[in-house]
Amino acid sequence: MKYIPKSILAILFCTGIFSSCAEKQDFDQLDDLDITPTAEASILYVETPEDLINQDPGTYFYSQTFNFDAFNEEFVADNILDGVITYELENTTSKPLDITFEFLDEAGNTLDSENFMLNAAPTAILTREIAYGPAGRSLDIIRNTSAIRVSTTNLGDNTSVSSLPNPTVFLRSSAKFRILLQ
Amino acid sequence: MIRTLGLLSILLLGYMTSFAQNKEVLYDFQEIPQAIMVNPGINTIYNWYAGIPFISGIYAKGATSGLTVNDIFAADGLDINQKVRDRALNSLSERDEVNGIFQVDVLNGGFRSQKNPANFFSFGMYIEGYALNYWPKDLAILAYEGNADRLGQRFDLNDLNASGQFINVLHFGINRQIKNNLTLGARIKLYSGILDIKSTNNSGYFETTLGENNLLRNTLVSDMRLRTSGLDALLDANDNGSSVAGLFTKRGLFGGDPGLGFDLGVTYNLNDQTVITGSLLDIGLLYHTSDVTNYTLKGSASIEGVEIILPDALNDPNADVWEDLVNEIEELVPFEENNNNYVSFRPIKFYSSIRYNFGKQGEPVADCDCDYKPNSGDRSLYYLNSVGAQLYAINRPRGPQFALTAFYQRRFAKVLTLKATYTVDKFTPTNVGLGMSLQAGPVNFYIMGDNLFSYGNIADSNYASFQLGLNIISWERN
Repeated sequence: MKYIPKSILAILFCTGIFSSCAEKQDFDQLDDLDITPTAEASILYVETPEDLINQDPGTYFYSQTFNFDAFNEEFVADNILDGVITYELENTTSKPLDITFEFLDEAGNTLDSENFMLNAAPTAILTREIAYGPAGRSLDIIRNTSAIRVSTTNLGDNTSVSSLPNPTVFLRSSAKFRILLQ
Repeated sequence: MIRTLGLLSILLLGYMTSFAQNKEVLYDFQEIPQAIMVNPGINTIYNWYAGIPFISGIYAKGATSGLTVNDIFAADGLDINQKVRDRALNSLSERDEVNGIFQVDVLNGGFRSQKNPANFFSFGMYIEGYALNYWPKDLAILAYEGNADRLGQRFDLNDLNASGQFINVLHFGINRQIKNNLTLGARIKLYSGILDIKSTNNSGYFETTLGENNLLRNTLVSDMRLRTSGLDALLDANDNGSSVAGLFTKRGLFGGDPGLGFDLGVTYNLNDQTVITGSLLDIGLLYHTSDVTNYTLKGSASIEGVEIILPDALNDPNADVWEDLVNEIEELVPFEENNNNYVSFRPIKFYSSIRYNFGKQGEPVADCDCDYKPNSGDRSLYYLNSVGAQLYAINRPRGPQFALTAFYQRRFAKVLTLKATYTVDKFTPTNVGLGMSLQAGPVNFYIMGDNLFSYGNIADSNYASFQLGLNIISWERN
């Protein structure tokens, strides 16, 4: 070391500390980053016992409209990419049933509907998946849905009682939507 | 709410951009006056020093574990989505982090007592900012991939752990040679908190399971909080176009949150050539009382969508079941805001070292014929070489972090001292650092950096730092 002047050593040192380089970075790649999580949750559950159906002296008909703003929340409506709605219907009553789901807009117009014919028990659980988006029905249905109407018609009598325990008709549904976050 | 979400996004993105705190090169570097800031009990070898305002100590350091800028942003032609998935989502754990700090000395000086030359006093003011963000693993998966097809998987809300602080510190320290082989030091620090953001000690989870009635059940159990102080004023100043610098100055000069802290240090000569040292820094806290806004999300709820159970539902056929559901969730898991004062603790740092001095005895760096230590004290300056090891630890929200350093120091008469370090910590096992102190008359210039092997591609570095400064030192006897 004694042959290297200290000033040269210091200069070399500083040069070393201050010298660095970096490979080329492309921060524009952020524009290509797709953050598209898929969220799923239940939508609607309706449970109707057979004795309620039998209380109706005529042909039982039940129809009710539920306010449902989950889909047309601005964030969902603006960013939904595609999705699937799953229906599961279970009938343990002694009656065949006709059940219709309808998606309604703010004005009450029907945007989409799904009809199910259920045999009297014993019958299998009916499951159906409806796709929305490029490979399915229009996403505008989802974006504009403000309410859901469920209508049920008894296609059988109003006296019989199923031998199964707690005879009931169950309507279950869930949604799985892919959302664009980035 | 939007502001909060924005803030959380900034904290999350902070993982990609922010800056650690081990000053292993500076520690026990006696020729540099600022070394007293990391060990108030260092052996002081000058009569007084004065740092050049704002440039006596400039320090910045950044560290990331598990991921580098280059891993994501290298222009390598690979799909960024695949890189994020492979190198972040599927690789990082909730213990991986980004942390960093900067410090700028506004004023820094020190002088030896004329009355009792065994006492050396130091004082000054510096500004410091730090940011720490752990990788929010489960929340990142939830945001990137969602909850679909993940029945029974709990997304842990504790993964959100981020904090940042911007403070001004006024300090005064005393360093006293107790015995020939023992020097003790202590420093008091008055903090003035400018900005504090903290979301730590969160708990809870989000989970999707098979429903009891409906197909799916979503459960949220949450005890989360975000504490801020000084943030609203900063955002308002930014929105109004008023002076952010003025706001910082006002809050920094004791118009912000008050705090008190202490540093302690010791140097002990086991024998003529072997020295051990230790210090504890920032044993202190701040009491956040000004411009405080806190957000909480606390409660638990499980939902299976809108539930209509007949015949009960017929009692109120016009009920807005959706609004009822939303209101029920908001009641069970309320998002609330308050202005309660709170306390934050400074991250305590611990240093210790053992040094062995050897080689041909040379002249001391300066002619400090200080009569208060006639024959002994730390005689390392009388040796050309030193070799040793240092241990560093810092208290972090997920437990202490450690770094182990081996070093070699070489002195070239009175003019030049070089120190080389090799450090192993959670960020890198190959951290080589260099430091230089250059003495030209009364002018002292120092510069140091670490993880130099990474300088070939700094973007691919898990750890980088630099520090430099300029001082005037008086070696004259009292």
